This record gives sequence, C-alpha cells and structure tokens, in this order.
Amino acid sequence: MANLRKVFSKIYDQYINKIYRFIFLKVNSQEIAQDLCSETFLRGWESFKNGNKIENPQAFLYKIARNLVTDYYREKAKTRVVSAEFVPVADPRPGLDERVMLGSDLEVVRRALAILKEDYQNVIIWHYLDDLPIQEVAEMMGRTEETTRVLLHRALKALRQKLT
Amino acid sequence: MMTEKELIGEIRKLRQIKPNKDWVSLTKSQILPDPTFREWSFWNIFSPEKWWGAKPALATVTVFGILFGIFIFAQNSLPGDFLYPIKKTTERGQAVFVSKEELPKVQLELVNKRLEELNEIAQTNQVKKLAPAIQEFQASISKAAQKLSGAKEPNIKEIVTAAKKIEINKQKAETLGVVMGETEKLDNAYRPFAEREIQNLENSSLTEKQEEILKEAKEYFEKGDYSTTLIKVVEASQVR
Repeated sequence: MANLRKVFSKIYDQYINKIYRFIFLKVNSQEIAQDLCSETFLRGWESFKNGNKIENPQAFLYKIARNLVTDYYREKAKTRVVSAEFVPVADPRPGLDERVMLGSDLEVVRRALAILKEDYQNVIIWHYLDDLPIQEVAEMMGRTEETTRVLLHRALKALRQKLT
Repeated sequence: MMTEKELIGEIRKLRQIKPNKDWVSLTKSQILPDPTFREWSFWNIFSPEKWWGAKPALATVTVFGILFGIFIFAQNSLPGDFLYPIKKTTERGQAVFVSKEELPKVQLELVNKRLEELNEIAQTNQVKKLAPAIQEFQASISKAAQKLSGAKEPNIKEIVTAAKKIEINKQKAETLGVVMGETEKLDNAYRPFAEREIQNLENSSLTEKQEEILKEAKEYFEKGDYSTTLIKVVEASQVR
C-alpha cells in the first residue's frame, strides 16, 4: 500500500499542473477547476489502489478529467431548467487565475479556445501546451496519426478565425 | 494576420496557467494522506495506541519520568501528605538491601528522619499533620528498638552517633512544645549494649579521665538513661 501511494504521489506531482490547466481552460473558473481536478486524482487513486492496471497514467487521468468536465456541463445544463430557488449563486469575484487572465492577451486566446469544439480544444492543448507527440495525441483521441494531424490543422485554422 | 508560428506562440502562453501551490499540496495530502502523519489533538497524543502500541519506548521513558518525578516529590513529603506513603515504601525498599548488622543504625536514622519531620511540622505550624507525625515517630521507635534487640554485634559507634542526633532532635521538638510520647522502648533497647560496654571498660585498664567518664556512665545507667550511658561509654573509650 505504501508503495502504491509512493507511485501515485509521483504521478500526482507529474500531472497535476497539466490536468488542472486542461480543466481550467474548459470551465474558466478556479474553484470549479480545483474541484474537478481533485476529483480526477481521487478517482485515479481509487482505481489505482484497487489494483486496476494503468498503462498510461496521463491518458487515464485525461480520460477521467474529460468525463468530469462533460458531467459538469451536463449538470450545468440541467440547472438552467430547474427553479431559480435551487440555482446556486455564483461568487461574482474572479479567482486568482481569472484575475491573471482578465485584461491580458491570454484571455483573448483562452476565450477563443474555449468556444472551439471539444476535439479541437483537446488536440491543441495536448500537442501545443502539453507537448505530446502526434502519435500519443492520436492514441488518446482514438484516431489515426493522419486524421489527428488533419484535426490539428483544422483546429488551428478555427482558432485563428476566432481570433480575427 | 497572425502566422501559424505566432499563433502557436500565443497558445503556449497559456502554460502560465498553474494551480495554486498551497491547493496542490493540500489536495495531495487529502487524496494521499500520509499514514504516519496525524493532526495534533489531545487524543492523538495521549491515545493508548500511541503510548502503548506505536511508541512503547517513548511511553516507557515517559512513565519512568513521571514515576521519578513523583519519587522526588515524595521524598520531601510529610506525614499526612498524599505522597507520604510513597516515601515510606521507598524507605522500606532501601532497608531490604541492608545487612542485618547495619539494620539498627538504619532504623535509628529513620527515627531521626521522623523527628526532623516532626520538627518541621511544628515549626511551620501544620497542626493537622502533627498527630500522624507523632504516630510515625512512635512507630519508628518501636521498629528501631526491635532491630536493636535482634542485633548481635552492631557497630556501637554508629549507634551512638545516631543516638546523639536523636537526643538533639528530641530536645528541639520539646523546645517547640511537641509532646512526643514515651521513648522508653528505644532506651530499653540500648540497655544490653550499654551494660556490655560498661563491663568491657571495667575489665580494661583506664586513665583517670576515663574512670571519671565511666563513673558518669554508670550513674546514667542507674537512672535508666541507657542512651546517654552509651554515649558516655563511647566517650570514655575515645579519651586518653
């Protein structure tokens, strides 16, 4: 058990920044990004300690994070149709990351990235921010390398259009 | 129009987005708690598991430390104090390791201790402790007399030294107005030794001065003051 904890501790240290950034770019809230990120690692740890074989920890964690973001938006969509009494009141003050972003060039890029479709966001984040090779990005997306290159090309084109 | 290289450069600026360091370490500690770390709480420090399971050596050292502290405090206690029985037990324990011939001397020293306690109580006017202190003194006298009676060849000089001290402390207690009760038992226990020492001196060739002191000793013997007799006899044997 102690050994598993040690191994997962290294995985945590290695991927926490990437997973957090990945989630933050999709939800644009420090608080929500922290919640979903900690949930990602918690689920990862639960699975890991229960003996599930994890060949690619990065791909595994990204998969959990993607599912959590999807669930988050699904739940968010549901809350729009329920009574106003049950809608949580959001804190209007921006978080630290949000404050850094506001009024900067980063915000412009982030906003443009956020309105791209999910596959475009993912391929850009993984290849240009995480520096993952096309082969690995293709594996994570369940595509061939060729179609991933095409997807990346289209994603960049779409981002450029949003920025102009 | 932004070139592809410029666009990628802009995208890479998003690497500045990083989680708060405190949050990262806090989350890690919540997901992967260190099994050896426990938050501070009274129960965590004083739990039986910690003392008797996880840290037996520390627990042992601490217990001995506490016992040692109690032992030290007990040595200054007086009759009627909460810790006084510990002091008595310690004295009994010490007596176990003393040879039979040394026992009378040790018991006489204990009589002296009881007298010193009695004097301290009288001086500090601790009235409630007076009765138990007198009881303790009487009990110590009985025990000393018993040990003296049972001794065959005690060291007379040592007994005389202790007896002298007892006399001084008794006088002090009397000056303070303490009524100690009878001490005849102890005096009577000196008798056989006083008698034997007088005979020894009579059978020896004595100087004029020694004869004089022996005479005084006999007078004290006649009065039944055997402790002073013994003191005189030893004095006679020491002068020339």
